[in-house]
Amino acid sequence: MRSGDFKETYADLIVLSDSRLVWAWAGVLVVALVVAPFVVNAYVLSLLTLVLITVTGALGLNLLTGLTGLISLGHAGFLLLGAYGYAIVVAKHNLHPLLGFLAAGVAPALFAIVVGLPSLRLRGLYLAITTLAFSYIISDLILEAKSITDGARGITVQRPEFFGLDFSSDPSFALLCAFVAAVALFACLNIQRSRIGRAFMAIRDNDIAARTMGVNLQAFKLYAFMTSAFITGIAGALMGIYLSFVSVEGFPFLFSIEALAILIVGGLGSALGAVLGTVFIVLLPEAIRILFSWFGGALESLLSTGVHEVKSIAYGVAIILFLRFEPRGLVGVWRDAKRLWTHWPLKY
Amino acid sequence: MRYLIATALAALALHGAPAVAAEQGVTDTEILIGEVDPFTGPPALLGKAHSSGLKLAFAEANEAGVNGRKIKMISEDDGYVTARTLQGLRKVIDVDKVFSVVGISGSGQSIAAMPVLEKSGVPTIISSAPVSQIFEPARKNVFALGQVYTQGIKELTAFLADKFPGKKWGIVTQDDDYGLLVREGFDTIVKAKKLNVVYSGSYKKGQTDFASDMLRLKESGAEVFLAGGIISENVAMIKEMEKLAFKPAVGIFWPGRIEVVLKLAGPASDGLYAVDYVEPLAGPAGKAFVEQAKKHLTEAEMKGINRYTEAGYAAGRVLVEAFRKCGKALTRDCAISEIEKTKDLQTGVMAPISFGAGKRFSDQKVQIMQADFATLSYKPVK
Repeated sequence: MRSGDFKETYADLIVLSDSRLVWAWAGVLVVALVVAPFVVNAYVLSLLTLVLITVTGALGLNLLTGLTGLISLGHAGFLLLGAYGYAIVVAKHNLHPLLGFLAAGVAPALFAIVVGLPSLRLRGLYLAITTLAFSYIISDLILEAKSITDGARGITVQRPEFFGLDFSSDPSFALLCAFVAAVALFACLNIQRSRIGRAFMAIRDNDIAARTMGVNLQAFKLYAFMTSAFITGIAGALMGIYLSFVSVEGFPFLFSIEALAILIVGGLGSALGAVLGTVFIVLLPEAIRILFSWFGGALESLLSTGVHEVKSIAYGVAIILFLRFEPRGLVGVWRDAKRLWTHWPLKY
Repeated sequence: MRYLIATALAALALHGAPAVAAEQGVTDTEILIGEVDPFTGPPALLGKAHSSGLKLAFAEANEAGVNGRKIKMISEDDGYVTARTLQGLRKVIDVDKVFSVVGISGSGQSIAAMPVLEKSGVPTIISSAPVSQIFEPARKNVFALGQVYTQGIKELTAFLADKFPGKKWGIVTQDDDYGLLVREGFDTIVKAKKLNVVYSGSYKKGQTDFASDMLRLKESGAEVFLAGGIISENVAMIKEMEKLAFKPAVGIFWPGRIEVVLKLAGPASDGLYAVDYVEPLAGPAGKAFVEQAKKHLTEAEMKGINRYTEAGYAAGRVLVEAFRKCGKALTRDCAISEIEKTKDLQTGVMAPISFGAGKRFSDQKVQIMQADFATLSYKPVK
């Protein structure tokens, strides 16, 4: 029986997991994700798809805000750029979908340089406002560049097909989203345990100290912006495909706020937190609906027209509760539960 | 013994026989209808009103029943966010298993919903914001009830051009697909009637301050102005013109033609010209509709009644009539076929409604109306 964590080498410290049980459970999760799209109904499948797309986007934001400590209110802009990057390449120019995904990542990453440069001098609220302004600029640019983006008309996007794989059905598209989310998760976990990830965390904890330790602030902040934007852009492409129609209206500013809520509720700076936060925030309205349905038809019918009002309140309450009682978020609760399981009946 | 075996075999055969596939959302006593509209945020003003219209149509139908069945509506809120529209739509179709869908939020949301609707095959009426992408190309199960923006704005511009010949024109539109369609219609008439446009501006959705836009409009010398906002934007523009003591003839468009705009804009809203395909509530048909609504809507719903209530009511009526014609054997194919056969259906809230073979757009006739601030209403222009 395992009774604690004893690390003897640096390699042990940075390994993704030294527990076979964790890998076994990860395997079970992968199998469940592969099987689920074919057994659940279309509505649950659409929720699952949305969770997977949102996980990818939240992981992107987590790299920037959670890991590097740079607050962004402009991630809806990166999502939008990703969606348009894909739509323009695939739907307008009939190029290969993989090129579309590449464009969906590269376009926001390049724009991230523009918004990332001010971040070298700004921080906190000032940076948040700069990124907010950036998302508005992106919307305007897309609306004005009519010859490239079709302006306010939007672009209709079909489900992709490549390497003989057809993603036109809902289950197969969910699998594609699961694959992308898994790759994004592994990429983020690997960045986190690499030299780059440690530099990000050093900048977050104290950028002056990080500089004295030889961390190139400019380079790493820009790198954080670009990597974050790349991953978020891929999520944007998936969202565009999911919506089947890419327009500025389809990517409201609210997405940026929801992404931040996900990180706070899940636990800032943790990839697992981003996943848990996404599941919590995306499924919260469903949980509320089920809860109300237990109280009879009258409440349920009241909720059917007010679910998002309740959701908004629930968002706020959840964030306040987590900040007040568990600032480490869901991932903190998860770690406590793990510790309790490992050490019980001892406290430590 | 043989009798027993025969009975057992017959029972087994009956049990094992493939059941007649029951139509989704239809039981002996109930027909389920799904609706996705915005019930939260600023567009809730429109979504809730639309939902009330549907509720009214179904409540009326339920008085006598539809071939022994009652209609039950399941409403989902999308908050005017496209991703949530799709979620709501999938929920009503796949979880609640509705027979038919009606409404669907705004134009962008409806366009995004097309693949889901087409795949599902459920009879659908889009009545909140009909745009051409919904019925071009025609989809078997999707019908658009109303009129497209470009046509409405063309008729309003043409009317104002005839009423105010030789005047200078100004226009301000929103920088989205709605604004684009408004401008398209406007430009067509500008070209056809060779109008003198001295000011042309656009604003970003959500803009609240129109001081500079209206100042520039005034300085341009515009005498006829097309306010291409929706609700708050039109109110802000009218208020700003009042501050500047600037009084051109002003035209507004149907998405914002709701009575609350007049209340918010104050006396300056008196005399506004508007275009719509539903009856003004202050006209004889509108008054009759309001009286009719009192019977089934709550006090709160009555307060929120507006043009979207009429649009929703008309859509509900089309569905009910089609269901009735199908009789007891209500199937999707029959409902679609009967909606298609709808010919000159009188609803009292808009011109007679007709679809046709391969025709999925009702192409409603529009009318011009004028605001009367004293009664906070719009009245038909003779």
